[in-house]
Amino acid sequence: MRFRYILKLSAESFMQKKLRSWLTILGIVIGVAAVVSILSLSTGTQQIITSQLGGLGADIVTVSPGFNRASGMFGGGGSGGGPEGGGGGTASSITEDHNLTTRDLAAIKSVPGVKAVDGMISDRLAISYLAHSATLSVEGVDPLAWKEMTTSSLASGRYLTPGDGNVAVIGSRVADGVFKQAVLLNSQITIEGKPFKVVGILESSGSFGGTDNAIIVPIDAARTVIESVAPTHFSSIQVQVQDANSVNQTTNDISSKLMLVRHVNDNTKDFTVSSAQSIQQSISSIMGTLSLFMAGIAAISLLVGAIGIANTMFMSVMERTKQIGILKALGTTNFEVMQLFMVESAIVGLIGGLLGVFVGFIVSGIIGEIGVSVIGNLGPRGGSMSLTAITPELVAFAIGFSTMLGIVSGLLPARRASKLQPTAALRYE
Amino acid sequence: MPEANEKTVIELKNVSKVYQMGEVEVSALKNINMKVEMGEFVVVMGPSGSGKSTLMNLIGCLDIPTEGKIFLETHDISKLSESQLARIRGSRIGFIFQFFNLYPTLSVIENVELPMRIHNYDERKIRGKSLELLKMVGLQNRNDHLPSQLSGGEMQRVAIARALSTEPSMILADEPTGNIDSKTSQEIMQFFKKLHTEKNETIIIVTHDQSVAKYAQRIIHLKDGQIKEGG
Repeated sequence: MRFRYILKLSAESFMQKKLRSWLTILGIVIGVAAVVSILSLSTGTQQIITSQLGGLGADIVTVSPGFNRASGMFGGGGSGGGPEGGGGGTASSITEDHNLTTRDLAAIKSVPGVKAVDGMISDRLAISYLAHSATLSVEGVDPLAWKEMTTSSLASGRYLTPGDGNVAVIGSRVADGVFKQAVLLNSQITIEGKPFKVVGILESSGSFGGTDNAIIVPIDAARTVIESVAPTHFSSIQVQVQDANSVNQTTNDISSKLMLVRHVNDNTKDFTVSSAQSIQQSISSIMGTLSLFMAGIAAISLLVGAIGIANTMFMSVMERTKQIGILKALGTTNFEVMQLFMVESAIVGLIGGLLGVFVGFIVSGIIGEIGVSVIGNLGPRGGSMSLTAITPELVAFAIGFSTMLGIVSGLLPARRASKLQPTAALRYE
Repeated sequence: MPEANEKTVIELKNVSKVYQMGEVEVSALKNINMKVEMGEFVVVMGPSGSGKSTLMNLIGCLDIPTEGKIFLETHDISKLSESQLARIRGSRIGFIFQFFNLYPTLSVIENVELPMRIHNYDERKIRGKSLELLKMVGLQNRNDHLPSQLSGGEMQRVAIARALSTEPSMILADEPTGNIDSKTSQEIMQFFKKLHTEKNETIIIVTHDQSVAKYAQRIIHLKDGQIKEGG
């Protein structure tokens, strides 16, 4: 029997019992859709996180006080994002511990591969503008070094320059979203009662490590309003390395040098050196594990679907015992009978996979929409980026896998069909 | 193969068949010797329980004997693999069953085509051959009907057309009139007779229907698993 004819017979048998075929397919559709939407959600989220963290700059290393022994880099990463991100709660959680000093700053400067160093102080302070006040993060930075390192571009005005007094560069949300009236360039805001002139407004960065909620002032001016940090201490130190490719090496060198200067060892370490790369890596690995776990749960529903196929095929073999007998009497071989049933269950798997991908596409689209409306537009620089991502690989994998699943599920029933004796099969009523 | 000359279609030599029913062995056929030559019209008769069905399955190579040898044309069927046997059985024997056994999801013409498709006949010849056979059995107008839309007599005629499609060396019919009324039975038997006389087909009919016997050249009587007459 030619394979084309086997296909025809299988497809006809499939079409004959429509309701049952579609119910069996439904089991696969649900499983595939669940796996596809979960995997696409995690791929999309990872892409967003990666692009957001990219805003920190690939050549920037952040030194921050404190060391989280439980989760290592990730804890350090969280506070590392603080100084620039500012708006988050991360900065305030370490305010008591601004124990990085000018001596540390000097030590870092001497590490080979370091291009520039910016000692920063930050705190959440009372800001007012035209009689409205808010508590915002204020960062004191070295004007020259900051200008070199920042990845934020200006919407209007200028960066800080050496010799600036009480002036501030503000993030886009501070300018536009915090106070009742938009803060204009060259207007005056009050920080802890002291007047500061707005000389620059940054463009929206949209990212976690971004500057949208920040108020950036020269460090000397900052020291007059931030009282929680001692005069020779810093909240964090940002380091620009000469070569972005050797960030990991320089990170280690800075760490070793600081341990030497601060007389601490691995067990008593009281600071964290982190780079955007290392934060990305640890978040990616956590997201990866999480999505694998969720996909595993979704895969259970696929397994149930596969058992459904096997069940339906066993029933089909029983019902078609007589047909099998006819085919065998007329000269069909065992292998051909086996193919007939395998092809039918492969069709179930294939259609289930195709529809499952389609449904998964819709579901992840809906999740994406809901996600965006909850979290807000996460796209970099105001552009839109989907929370979910369906890659061609994912589609191919889902369809291939479910077809394989159909074939495997059909294996036992098909074997049973092929082993039926023609005499017994013909007697069967 | 000493006694199986080229004119012999099927030969059974000292064939016995024992069925295992739980712990009891049931001897269905005992030491059967029979031979059917090309162009013969043979009817195997016997009451129910005489071993007719078992003999029919063995002649049709649907089952293998417990003892003895069966030769289909020149092939010793015990020496063939399962798939070789399936192929030879399907192409050399044209089966006709009591319950017609048409393939329910295929149309009339597709049923006639089925054996040719199973045996990979040239696609271009299949349709023409099927139309010719359906015309011969008088069903040329029912090509696209499903078996369920036909009467018993019509279904049996489709089965005959299907049995002839691979030009087998014998037609093996199991109670072909068992499930149709007596008038239609006569038509069907006339048809067998015509096939035999005009086309020189070899025909073996297994039945308990006395009225079928008169069409036969030779009658083999089976009783209690043994041939009593005509072997």
